[in-house]
Amino acid sequence: MTAIDSPQLVTQETKAPPGLLRRLVAQRQAKIGIGLTAAVVLLALLGPVLLPVITGFTSTEFTGRPFQPDGVFGTDNLGRDVLSRFLDGGLRLLAYSALATLLGMVLGVLAGMTAAYAGGRVDSLIMRSNDVLLALPSLVFALLAITVLGPEGWVLVAVIGITHAPRIARVTRSATVDVITEDFIRAAEMYAVPRWKILVQDVLPNITGPLMVELGLRMTYSIGAVASLSFLGLGMQPPTADWGLMINENRIALVIQPWGVILPVLAIAVLTVGINLITDSLARAAANANVGASK
Amino acid sequence: METSPVLRGHLPDRPALAPTRRRVLGIGLALGLGGFLAACGTGPAAVLSAPSGPPQRGGRLRVGLAGGGAADSLDAHSSVSTTDIARIVNLYEPLLYRDENYELKPLLAAKVTPSADARVWTVDLRRDVLFHDGRPMTGKDVATSFKRIVDPKDPKSGAAALAILDEVAVVNEHRVEFRLNSPSATFDDSLGQYTLGIVPADYDPANPVGTGPFKYRSFAPGRNSVFVRNERYWRDGEPYLDELEILNFNDDDALINALLSTQVDAIGQIPLTLLEVIDADPRISILSAETGAWMPFTMRVDRPPFDDKRVREAFRLAVDREQMIEQVLSGNGSLGNDMYSPFDPGYPSHLPQRKQDIARAKELLAEAGHPDGLTVELVTAPIQSGAVEAAQVFAQQAAEAGIMVKIRQVDTTTFFGDSYLKWDFAQDFYYTRNYLPQVNASTLPTSPFNETHWDHPEFNALIKKANATVDDDERNALIAQAMEIEYNEGGYIIWGHANQADAYQQYVAGLVPSRTGLALSGFEFRRVWLGGAS
Repeated sequence: MTAIDSPQLVTQETKAPPGLLRRLVAQRQAKIGIGLTAAVVLLALLGPVLLPVITGFTSTEFTGRPFQPDGVFGTDNLGRDVLSRFLDGGLRLLAYSALATLLGMVLGVLAGMTAAYAGGRVDSLIMRSNDVLLALPSLVFALLAITVLGPEGWVLVAVIGITHAPRIARVTRSATVDVITEDFIRAAEMYAVPRWKILVQDVLPNITGPLMVELGLRMTYSIGAVASLSFLGLGMQPPTADWGLMINENRIALVIQPWGVILPVLAIAVLTVGINLITDSLARAAANANVGASK
Repeated sequence: METSPVLRGHLPDRPALAPTRRRVLGIGLALGLGGFLAACGTGPAAVLSAPSGPPQRGGRLRVGLAGGGAADSLDAHSSVSTTDIARIVNLYEPLLYRDENYELKPLLAAKVTPSADARVWTVDLRRDVLFHDGRPMTGKDVATSFKRIVDPKDPKSGAAALAILDEVAVVNEHRVEFRLNSPSATFDDSLGQYTLGIVPADYDPANPVGTGPFKYRSFAPGRNSVFVRNERYWRDGEPYLDELEILNFNDDDALINALLSTQVDAIGQIPLTLLEVIDADPRISILSAETGAWMPFTMRVDRPPFDDKRVREAFRLAVDREQMIEQVLSGNGSLGNDMYSPFDPGYPSHLPQRKQDIARAKELLAEAGHPDGLTVELVTAPIQSGAVEAAQVFAQQAAEAGIMVKIRQVDTTTFFGDSYLKWDFAQDFYYTRNYLPQVNASTLPTSPFNETHWDHPEFNALIKKANATVDDDERNALIAQAMEIEYNEGGYIIWGHANQADAYQQYVAGLVPSRTGLALSGFEFRRVWLGGAS
């Protein structure tokens, strides 16, 4: 009997490093990110529900003349309560951004994995059409589509999702290419496991790291895009309360009655910074199995 | 026909070179800080008061205006943007003009008389008017000016109002005759437009010579232009200023910041929603004037659902006009009664003010076959400050009457693009104008801007008769009848007339409220002078 055979040591060797999520949460940066994001998400989710309790006004009700200091944060360009509009304006922004990101992820991952796994002509075809899409500035593409199809919610989601897809496809493809040369994939192929099953069961779990990073990144871009389009008058249509729209509506009074601009700007900024912090930590956690362990 | 500034609010271009918000904000902060430090050093700031006493001569007035761009010009007859208008009003003068009370006054004309059949108008010219280059203004110049405006190959913006003009005949040095192809008893009104400035026979826009109170010095399209006093000006003593500078701004916030940081002395057309807060600044004075400007909702009377006059009335009854003025104009406006041209002597003020009546509106909708209400799309664009806001307030008010208004916001270029004048339900904007010229612009089958597709035989006959009636009382009675038809069945929802508000530094004197709807006393800077405080 040697020391090597001692059962105690074997268990130590086979013990898996902490999971991705735990490695993520172990980082201080991630904790801050989660806190910031949760605060804004909660605000956006609960705002519409708590509206009657907190302000007593709906987001489209006139409470006074425009740009007056009534209420907590004054009134907006049409004499509506700024706080009410702020509380009611985040949910749609978040929902649209999340849906757009999800759509982009689904399309991008499908295209990327197919390209990498199929290789050859299919790969070239998918990736070169990808390049064509990438050559179009995404905001210009969105403006074009919305001008043609009208500012409907689904158009917004579809357009932003589609502009994300090529970038996600690129990341997915490069991550997949690394994985499919591994032996366990060859083994699965030898046992004639269907291709889709290999992709879903063997490849996908091994590329979640980079994909999660991409998800966070795309989410921040989606929020930016939805808010920008609303600001330009092509996203959410008035009189809907929306953070992007609020910035545009109230910016003429920036020097005089700034809350109508500051509140939505702050919320969007905090949200994107929060998500970025999480994404950053996630990237670190995915790249290094020991992140957070030393702390 | 192209959108002309005589007939409608301009579409401000956004030039690349004008002061940007950031730049102005930076300057504003710097100046603000400087002022603060200075105040700390010298104790209480000097007490500011409006200048009084006789006008003082000298100084340069810097006027900030939003709009204008690389396409700006000094051409007397093709102004488009607000800044264009401000320049041509000071460089050139028409035969007649609308003063601050919206009264038609002679300017370069001494007397204007119609013939008995209103087909020939004789204009006697002032004899003491010199062009900027020293030559006297004569009948020949008047004739060539009008020839240039109505040139069939290149009609200028004033041509739309002169469709009935056959020719301008020079009788002698100081008398011309306008010969019309159909009678017009209000042709003098058509002559009183700033786009009809008189220029020398050999006029070249590159060398902008006119008879106005200021002479051209420099011009950078989309940025600024400088003018100097016309020493040969025919009005004694005027202008008081040595120099006039007009600066373009990209947007309202840059404009307001420029005023607050004393980068400019006066700004034209501030958003009414900001009027109270700007007024709270002790250094700044507000010039607010009632105007006849209107921003109607336009319902196409030849398309469902608006082809039923009961639906049109229901929509008009759904509007809470007082709330509209409160929310959209911050209370700075006068009530509209679904009729335009409130300053026209023929305006039927005896007609009852239409008020919100939800019950009656629902009744009318039910009679018209919409017992459960109806859904309509309202096309809006930021064509004028308050336009998109008005659409939102209307949507909310109409909901009470069972009218679901879906707002479709487009950009200004799209709004005035191919679909303009074809929208079923949209908005538009007009400055103050008297009734018959406005009808010519917007409510005859032949009008260039008939958004509502209004074509009412009885109305058309009344207008034709009014146009040929020289007697004022008789004509005003006809106008009142025509207005009543529109009050009962028309396609416009005219909920109010916005005030015109400008802001200026306390040391600027001589600005008076003007009902014309043009900013800063109708841009008549000849009367402006600067107090010593600056």
